[in-house]
Amino acid sequence: MTQTERSTRRLLDRLFVPLTVGPTLLWIAGIIVYPTAKLFWSSLFWTNPITGAREFVGLRNFERLLLQSGGWLGTFNPEFISYTWHTVVYVGFSVTISFLLGLGIAILLDKDLAGRGWFRTAVIVPWILPYVMSGLMWRWMFQTQYGAINGVLVQSGLIGSKIAFLSDGTLAMMALIIADVWVFTPFIIIILLAGLQNVPEQLYDAAEVDGASRWSRFRNVTYPFLKPSILVALTIRIIFDIRALDLVWVMTQGGPGKSTEVWASWLYRTAQVFAKPGEGAALGVVMLAVTFGIVAVLYKVFGETPYET
Amino acid sequence: MSTKRSTLDRLVAPFGVDAETDEWSAVRRERLVAYGLLSVYVFVVWFPIYYIFITSIQPTSEVLSLPVNFLPQQATGQNYVDIFANRPFEAYTLNSVIVATTTTVVCVTLGTLSGYTFSRYNFLGNKALLLSIVGARMIPPIALIVPFFSIMSNPPLIGGFTGSLYDTKIALILTYTFFNLPFAVWIMKNYFDGVPESLDEQAQVDGCSRWEGFFKVVLPVAKPGIAATAILAFIFSWNEFVFALVLTSSEQAQTLPIAVSLFVADDFVDWAHLAAGGIIAALPGILFGLFFQRYIVSGLTQGAVKE
Repeated sequence: MTQTERSTRRLLDRLFVPLTVGPTLLWIAGIIVYPTAKLFWSSLFWTNPITGAREFVGLRNFERLLLQSGGWLGTFNPEFISYTWHTVVYVGFSVTISFLLGLGIAILLDKDLAGRGWFRTAVIVPWILPYVMSGLMWRWMFQTQYGAINGVLVQSGLIGSKIAFLSDGTLAMMALIIADVWVFTPFIIIILLAGLQNVPEQLYDAAEVDGASRWSRFRNVTYPFLKPSILVALTIRIIFDIRALDLVWVMTQGGPGKSTEVWASWLYRTAQVFAKPGEGAALGVVMLAVTFGIVAVLYKVFGETPYET
Repeated sequence: MSTKRSTLDRLVAPFGVDAETDEWSAVRRERLVAYGLLSVYVFVVWFPIYYIFITSIQPTSEVLSLPVNFLPQQATGQNYVDIFANRPFEAYTLNSVIVATTTTVVCVTLGTLSGYTFSRYNFLGNKALLLSIVGARMIPPIALIVPFFSIMSNPPLIGGFTGSLYDTKIALILTYTFFNLPFAVWIMKNYFDGVPESLDEQAQVDGCSRWEGFFKVVLPVAKPGIAATAILAFIFSWNEFVFALVLTSSEQAQTLPIAVSLFVADDFVDWAHLAAGGIIAALPGILFGLFFQRYIVSGLTQGAVKE
């Protein structure tokens, strides 16, 4: 090795850290930090829809979004209240149902069953399909005349006449929740199954010797070890559901009326369809704040474990 | 076969454990119940996929006929032929392949390099940087549709050279690395944490430079982690809809999820052809799920659960 080769090599080695991490950091700064900063900045402007001229309006966009026009502090915009309520119902029901269902299936899959790998493969698939395809597929399932669900219900004689699932606000919300549960339960299953496999065997034996009941063993042995997985599963599920537009947009577009309009579809409608980028950005800022708030609360509730893992 | 007892075994163990025979029958009964419940769940999960598949192989006249039939009477591949003949489906498919593959290559390359360094080296601010990369995953992408739209229509710095990136595959590739790169860094960092450091040390003792040690010794061991990252990044970018909806407007850049949504006209849906397009869009997911389930699970748990 010549002197130059050796010194080039040493120089390259010294640059190992900046050369491996640098590109990622630059990329992330450009693709995350800059747009996020721009989000906050855009939320302070109003764009004239005709001329495209931008005007600095301070916090006026937030005011318009959250408060009733001409109202004083404390009277919320009824649209905001109603869409927030829809979001809470949608996220609340689908996360709860998919969590309980996912926990049940994960416990079954944790068993030493023959063909367990096959079952695991079979339950994962819905989560890997494009959400749009899943949404349209469920729209087709719920279709009034020719859809499979009415087909099964009517042709088996369970109901007399077909139900127009997607034309009724409550039923449409229910259909969205069913589709959402179908899509995201596999994710819960995978995460909780990984958690279940972390529980040390000896603790169960000890609990068994102590004669602990089924529930008490779940509560005192399984649950503490499952906590980190529960935290991750719930956090990602909730965050994802608040921001996910795909299913809602292709199944109901927020309708009928505005009965399934949630934050995500409201943001899309405001920013794109109604071309109010300032208000859209303001709603984006609110969603960002709420997301971080929810993460903080979940960490508070599920964050600590009594055992060292 | 592992001798590890399952959670269910442990939960039901107090029932009928007195005599050997009782224990056997209890275990068998319990297995039967588990099989039954899992089968019902698998049936419910696969039924909609089956239904959209049979819709895709029936002529429209049969799809829109009553009673609803759950077995196709006259199977045909015509819908698949139609969508390629009447719509630019080859363009949509090609766009999807290009966008998802490029995003995957960028994310895996950058994610592997920096994941390794985050796992092995202490450098100024490494913890804070890693934490902010992880935190970036919490930003709801949809909150950023306004800034992304305006940046792509009028890109900073390079705007003078390229003009607008709106309705280009580049815009989608840039955007999708936004979702996937932080995730890739995190999965790979966790994966390298599990690779023993003695491996790199041995390489250094043997006279490898840091680069040689990384490429020749550590990287080959990390193949399963790379596979997991690549599969997830590919699936996420292949499936993405919202940003494709906002950032594209023609077959120059529109991807398959958009193509499928285009079958929905204002008050009419062409279900037979939509189903065929949907099956094509869903194909990579179904295949990956069936053949690479192990990698998907390991990637997801590396990316989500590991601290």
